[in-house]
Amino acid sequence: MSQSTIGRDTPQVTAREKLNGRALYAGDIKQPGMLHARVLRSPYPHARIVRIDTAAARALPGVRLVVTGADTPAKLTGVHRKEHRILAVDIVRHVGEEVAAVVATSEDIARDALDAIEVEYEELPAVLDPDAALAEGALEVHAGMKNRAYEMRIDYGDVEAGFARAAHVYEATYHAHSQYPGYMEPMATVAAMGGDGRLTVWTSTQSVFLARARYAEALEMPVSKVRVIQATTGGGFGGKIVEECNSLITAFLASRLDRPVRLVNNRLDDFQGARASVPERVRLKIGVDADGIIVAKEVEITAECGAYQGLTAHVMYVTAMRSDNMHRIANVRTRAILAYTHNPPRGAFRGFGGQQMGFALNCHMDVLAERLGMDPIELHRRNAIGQGEVSVHGWKIGSTGMLQCLEQVRGAIDWDEKRRRPRDTGLRRRGIGMAAAMHVSGNRTIGNWDGSTVTLKISEDGRATVLTAECDMGQGAYTVLAQICAHELSIPVEHVTVAAPDTDAAAFGIGSLASRVTIVAGNAMVRAAREARDKLIALAAEKLEAAPADLEAVDGCVRLKGVPDHKLTYAELARMHIFRKGGEGLQVRTTWDAPTEQPDPRYFGNVAPAHSFAVQAVEVEVDTETGQVRVVDTFVSDDCGRALNPMAIHGQTAGAVVQAIGWTLYEELQYEGGRLMNGNFADYTMPLARSVPDIRTGIVESNDPTGPLGAKGASETAIVPGAAAIANAVYDAIGVRITALPITPQKVLAALAAQGGAAAPKAQGRHA
Amino acid sequence: MGKQVIKLTVNGRLEEVEAPARRLLCDLLRDDLVLTGTKRGCETGTCGACSVMVDGRLVKSCLMLAVQARGSSVTTVEGLAPAGGLSPLQQCFAAHGGLQCGYCTPGFLMAATALLAENPDPTEAQVREALDGNLCRCTGYAGIVASVLAAAEKLRGH
Repeated sequence: MSQSTIGRDTPQVTAREKLNGRALYAGDIKQPGMLHARVLRSPYPHARIVRIDTAAARALPGVRLVVTGADTPAKLTGVHRKEHRILAVDIVRHVGEEVAAVVATSEDIARDALDAIEVEYEELPAVLDPDAALAEGALEVHAGMKNRAYEMRIDYGDVEAGFARAAHVYEATYHAHSQYPGYMEPMATVAAMGGDGRLTVWTSTQSVFLARARYAEALEMPVSKVRVIQATTGGGFGGKIVEECNSLITAFLASRLDRPVRLVNNRLDDFQGARASVPERVRLKIGVDADGIIVAKEVEITAECGAYQGLTAHVMYVTAMRSDNMHRIANVRTRAILAYTHNPPRGAFRGFGGQQMGFALNCHMDVLAERLGMDPIELHRRNAIGQGEVSVHGWKIGSTGMLQCLEQVRGAIDWDEKRRRPRDTGLRRRGIGMAAAMHVSGNRTIGNWDGSTVTLKISEDGRATVLTAECDMGQGAYTVLAQICAHELSIPVEHVTVAAPDTDAAAFGIGSLASRVTIVAGNAMVRAAREARDKLIALAAEKLEAAPADLEAVDGCVRLKGVPDHKLTYAELARMHIFRKGGEGLQVRTTWDAPTEQPDPRYFGNVAPAHSFAVQAVEVEVDTETGQVRVVDTFVSDDCGRALNPMAIHGQTAGAVVQAIGWTLYEELQYEGGRLMNGNFADYTMPLARSVPDIRTGIVESNDPTGPLGAKGASETAIVPGAAAIANAVYDAIGVRITALPITPQKVLAALAAQGGAAAPKAQGRHA
Repeated sequence: MGKQVIKLTVNGRLEEVEAPARRLLCDLLRDDLVLTGTKRGCETGTCGACSVMVDGRLVKSCLMLAVQARGSSVTTVEGLAPAGGLSPLQQCFAAHGGLQCGYCTPGFLMAATALLAENPDPTEAQVREALDGNLCRCTGYAGIVASVLAAAEKLRGH
């Protein structure tokens, strides 16, 4: 009997081709006659393009096309606000903005041609700081916008009354900086205009249908004339949803050529062209009563989107309200504003705004716990929203493992013992800290549909092929769908093929974002597999002259219960399904739309079918001579509903934790006058294997009633608590609170110097 | 630009390629020989995705000119196991979560192969040290380190 892999460590279904080097990423695709493109970028944050001379580039042998903004369709595009041209016209608004592109018979010639383009710029004053951008009379990035990309106001309950009755009120301001997604595969695309006038695009993407809609809009083509096929995707982390420009430019170039064209970002291109995460300043004021219950919360956010807003309004929206839903609170006042500047555009990033507030809120909770003389874990426990409750924003909590996560982490990191030890006084001092987080699994704010459609075919060999529009960017989407399909049909997981998303083949789908694939596509997959199984049973009932209720589908066969030899294989049934009068190939298509609601104008409404929770504890060692902070141990507990593939959950969690460590301690995009100074992996230092400890993780299974087999999303939650857990551990170690990320040695040393070099003794109250 | 004739052995097969002198080894492998398992991730020798073995030595092929590999024996990820098969190390990467998006994987496989050839019984710290020239953004390294340790044990015959 084929054993279900549900709940068991299961290798990725894409593992073999990734291990033998045969997986084809977009940059590996080579087509007959394929040409190569390169893109010229603006060196100025704000300038007028006075003149572009492309004659020398055009004259180079092997050059097939040179284009500038003037050659691109006049239509402005963008996810929300239509404000962006495929290549800049007249004005450049950030360093790295795409100004011209060349296409040649080889990458070398394209590179040479790029050098031959002459652009004369008139440099203009730039606004590079969100406060300056929002000041009265500031220079506008986009005319008429006053640099206000988006504003939010949220008011619930009576905040003043809440603060009035609070035992402790604490206010502080936190700074969360921008992080480069750092996927190992720089953006790459191949596109070709067919002889039939249809454009086909193979690209590294998290969403083939959002990509298709975007290209069609920008190129003023009917969507049905555009076909997008997902190439093997080397990581996305939000950066490959719909904002990057590599694929858009390639699609445009192909529309002007009769041969395929490939554009592969080099790493500097990618640093300059990618949407890094949204930098935000968060002022937080929270009041708690004597028992630690949050009685009032006031939030003020200034976020920066850079030159174009893309998805950043959504990101700020998440920062502004998501973490409120983690707690049982009633009085909230939130003001948030998103500013345009002449810095590079920011965008979606794993965690989608959650980590910016996760940092502020969890640092704040740590301070409040100290003032209350309470253990921070206890403070989180007391405020945690419970299963079946409805949050202040109308979120219905179908499941939560928050309390179990808190307890699991407490035990695993030896929290009580380590909190009791006296503060180190040596050169190297250890400390521990913790933080808690929640994330959505699915989200209806994208449009009034948060569904997923799965097409399942049972081939003549009895094996299954799954068509979906949800992309696997490395997180294991195909694997979890194959596992569910195999489980429901009782066949080996190796007998399931999940086809790479192709807009010509798969039904419309939103793609891989908002931790939605497991829950929405998983639910569609469960239903599709059960429907296919019912069809197999119905056909077998006819052939075996038995009642369907007396039959069971086991191990690739439909058989009579109690008489295992009286059976038909799926292969036999699949053939019978075709070769009969009025027959057809066995295929089902099912859609699952999340039972959620779009938020009302107050942002109220249950937008997600389920919510994931995570708690992380970190032990750090701070070198008081060098200011270096090292994470020596960490444990993360993740409530993913049900771990369909524990190895994949562990992998997602460990990856997210290390990405958070990088953001908190090492990674810093350094700009001078709007120009990125460290756009390479030597100077932008992402964590290496030896800079991090073994990431220890634990799973809490809250078995969500809406999740497929109880599962929820598990790819993003774990990036949210890391920064605060580290910051709180640093405070525990040396008595210094760093409120502006990243926690660099310079900041640690400066804070130690300000403190007089001697760490304050641990407050007695914390030992309660 | 003058072209050079470059003869070298790749995955046990003698190859002869005509290429300009500025052709990088990684581009020769990827573009001329269509061995695209070797990846380009940074062009500056920091990410390790282009790692290959040249005469038994771990090399970042984006930092080496193809002409420098003239007469050498090069092993790429495609040469780690016979066609259709996976080496014990590759099998361990699958079984222990050593890969996610897969883009860095060929480089890690080459670095781990080099390590295990030199030190069949590494400690966790030695594994992390040996993988110092390779970046991964997906796994947090936990699965990779576990895979290499498991492979070491397997290869030692336990």
